Amino acid sequence: MAEMSVTATGSRFARNRVFWVLGLACVSLAIIGAGPFLFDTYTVNILVRSFLYAATALTVDILWGYTGILTFGQSAFFGIGAYAAALTFTHFGFSTEMALLALVAGVAVSAAVAAIVGWISFWHGASSLYVAIVTLALPIIVVQLLYTGGTFTGSSSGLVGFEAFDLSVEAWFWITGSALVVLTVGGWFLVNSDFGRVLVALRENESRCTYLGINAPRLKILLMVVAAVIAALAGYGYASYTVVVAPEIASFVFGTELVIWVALGGRGTLIGPVLGTVAIDFISAYLSGNLPYVWKLIVGIIFVVVIVALPEGFLPVITRAGRWLSGCFRHAPKIVQSGSVALSLAEPPSTVGEGAGQPAVSVKSLGKRYGSSTILDGVDFTASGSEILSIVGPNGAGKTTLMRCLSSGTERSAGTVFFYGADIGRLPPYSVTALGVGRSFQTTSLFDTLTVAECLRLARFRLQRPAFWRRDQRLVLPPAAMRVVVATALDTQLTTEARHLSHGQKRALELAMVLALEPRVLFLDEPTAGLTKQERTLIGSILVDLTRREALCVLLIEHDLEFVREISTRILVLHQGKVLLDGSVQEVVESEIVRSIYAGHVKPETGETRL
Amino acid sequence: MSHVLEIRGVSSGYGEAIILRDVSLTIAEGEIFALLGKNGMGKSTLLKTALGFLRARSGAIHLLGQDVTGREPYKVARLSLAYSPQEGALFQELTVEENLRLVQPAGRRLQAGIERISEYFPIIRQRLDQKAGTLSGGEQKMLIISRALLVEPHLILIDEISEGLQPSVIDRLADILRRERQRTGVSILLVEQNVTFALSVADRYAILKIGEIAAAGRVTGPETAASVHAHLRI
Repeated sequence: MAEMSVTATGSRFARNRVFWVLGLACVSLAIIGAGPFLFDTYTVNILVRSFLYAATALTVDILWGYTGILTFGQSAFFGIGAYAAALTFTHFGFSTEMALLALVAGVAVSAAVAAIVGWISFWHGASSLYVAIVTLALPIIVVQLLYTGGTFTGSSSGLVGFEAFDLSVEAWFWITGSALVVLTVGGWFLVNSDFGRVLVALRENESRCTYLGINAPRLKILLMVVAAVIAALAGYGYASYTVVVAPEIASFVFGTELVIWVALGGRGTLIGPVLGTVAIDFISAYLSGNLPYVWKLIVGIIFVVVIVALPEGFLPVITRAGRWLSGCFRHAPKIVQSGSVALSLAEPPSTVGEGAGQPAVSVKSLGKRYGSSTILDGVDFTASGSEILSIVGPNGAGKTTLMRCLSSGTERSAGTVFFYGADIGRLPPYSVTALGVGRSFQTTSLFDTLTVAECLRLARFRLQRPAFWRRDQRLVLPPAAMRVVVATALDTQLTTEARHLSHGQKRALELAMVLALEPRVLFLDEPTAGLTKQERTLIGSILVDLTRREALCVLLIEHDLEFVREISTRILVLHQGKVLLDGSVQEVVESEIVRSIYAGHVKPETGETRL
Repeated sequence: MSHVLEIRGVSSGYGEAIILRDVSLTIAEGEIFALLGKNGMGKSTLLKTALGFLRARSGAIHLLGQDVTGREPYKVARLSLAYSPQEGALFQELTVEENLRLVQPAGRRLQAGIERISEYFPIIRQRLDQKAGTLSGGEQKMLIISRALLVEPHLILIDEISEGLQPSVIDRLADILRRERQRTGVSILLVEQNVTFALSVADRYAILKIGEIAAAGRVTGPETAASVHAHLRI
């Protein structure tokens, strides 16, 4: 099929982009080097502060623009870093040891606070609003603490005139300017690396990530801590440079301004927020002298206009115009097509064949209630390695709910679930996945803007940690996943974004992703729905092969009785939340009760629905 | 007999990719038509193009006697038709009843419609206050069919409705569609993977292959099924 043909140029394009970015970084460094000789002292003076703000805005862009964590609290970490310097230098005087001590204290306190904030915001079950509210409260708390500190913190007037580094304005300009360039380039490599794709995946479909074995809360807390440390370093620089600190620098007004600057510059573009912050802070410094109060009003109006007219911010509009003009201006760090991808086979997992004949899944008196209605009640069954246990039953019998209760410890209301002797207790999905459980979803649950290769690489997260600084051009898949990918022609669409796939190909990708996890226990919820007869047959043979060769235990929900009959070793019939029948394929297919509640006119000898 | 849907020489696609090439297709009044084909061959794209979600690069589309080529989808939807896409057809956060009220405001006609539909699918009446998102996959499909049948449109276009339904309900569905056609004279376009079901209910069929119609004809009997399967194999 004539889908997006980007594969050929992709790789060259990606390499070009690296040269572009490094080239741009060198030009920026050269400008910064020449800066003090080009600009007057006042300009240089203001730009140092703008650079420090821009570094903080950069952390907001990575958190919000790429990972979808809306934060108003980066100002609090900026403030913690600044006050660490100011308090130390005011009360203990300035020396190299004290400067180091203040630095360590600022970094440590902000990291600890970020970890706590992250834990409150992202613990299992927290809604995505938590983080916005918690990070809004944080700067308010920090400012209140500063107010109540009396003469120690300087209360509302802050601390002034402490001794700090004996550096010229030019030196500060060079240090902060080059740090900003290094930070921006580092950020660019991060968001364009494989790990950056994981961040985008978290933004798009966090729940699916957890079922791929990705500890989403931990990753987001880690990211918050790193962002907090960078903001604290910027704050430390700010206090040491200006030798003035006031509670306003930790306030939620500044925190919100950072978000506004990011939105104005172009959320999710890195360079946009950096340039936007520098420009706005610089211009406002000039204008605030001439138009003290009106300037705030102007920024407010510009913000409203930009949000309405240019919802993506300035940078995407400028680059699009540039591209339109020149046709070759392509360095904008937007979502990229990953280049050509080389497929290769993974080594067979070490656990191959271990599970044969052992009890792989053991479920005892499992129950699930939503309010007053009972969905599952007293479900008992076991399944061993190298078995394909099909779960059939009328629509609404509780089949999908059963899978949900097995793949996450937090779902069920009663009963116990063991995989190869390990109790899942109340484990979250990513920990259940770590026990060797893979689950596919009935309704397609993918990552829209990730390509096929990136989706598959995401599924390999647990087995092959993604790089922080580069994008892998190889994709290593286990044989089963590879067969699905090749058979459904997904290998010709590795660089296509998932949202452009047909429904059937999305289903196939879903299946390939679960197989790429190399699970020992596999839960499949209608894996062949939307696929053709030929594709179903092929997937059936892959599953049979997996159970025979690798002693995988497969739990399968399917309505295609013919398919179920061909590949199952046993069938479990669910009806109104209870196990109605647990028996051999023959027993179930010939059962009168199954025919009356479920199958209708299926003839047992052919399994064909009537014509 | 007039045509409820007439597609003439339509080409369409996404971005630079052309998915459909010069496709022509007509559906007569009161006809049940099955559009078959493997994955990624352009079946859903054809539906989206007919309803204006995708702009046709060339060709003309007539729906219920009106030229709708290039018309906005929300205007196309004002015609007497019901369309259910493959993904996201229901509003998950709304109740069953609210999903039905989106096509028929509350009143006597809604009550009568719910009564009639619950004859086919008793769960509709039982679950009126339940959120659609909490229904199982198969139950959601039943709600989709119910909503399409509720307003008694002249044309129903449904994308893969049998996916996820239990076999006995698929059997019943064939009866339901035929009975509704008998009663109201509705025309139905089914996009299907389940060949057995599609041929058990359709009058005519077409097979899409790489964006072109590879075969089409009247459904006559077992020989049709054989030739369709032969086409889908390659």
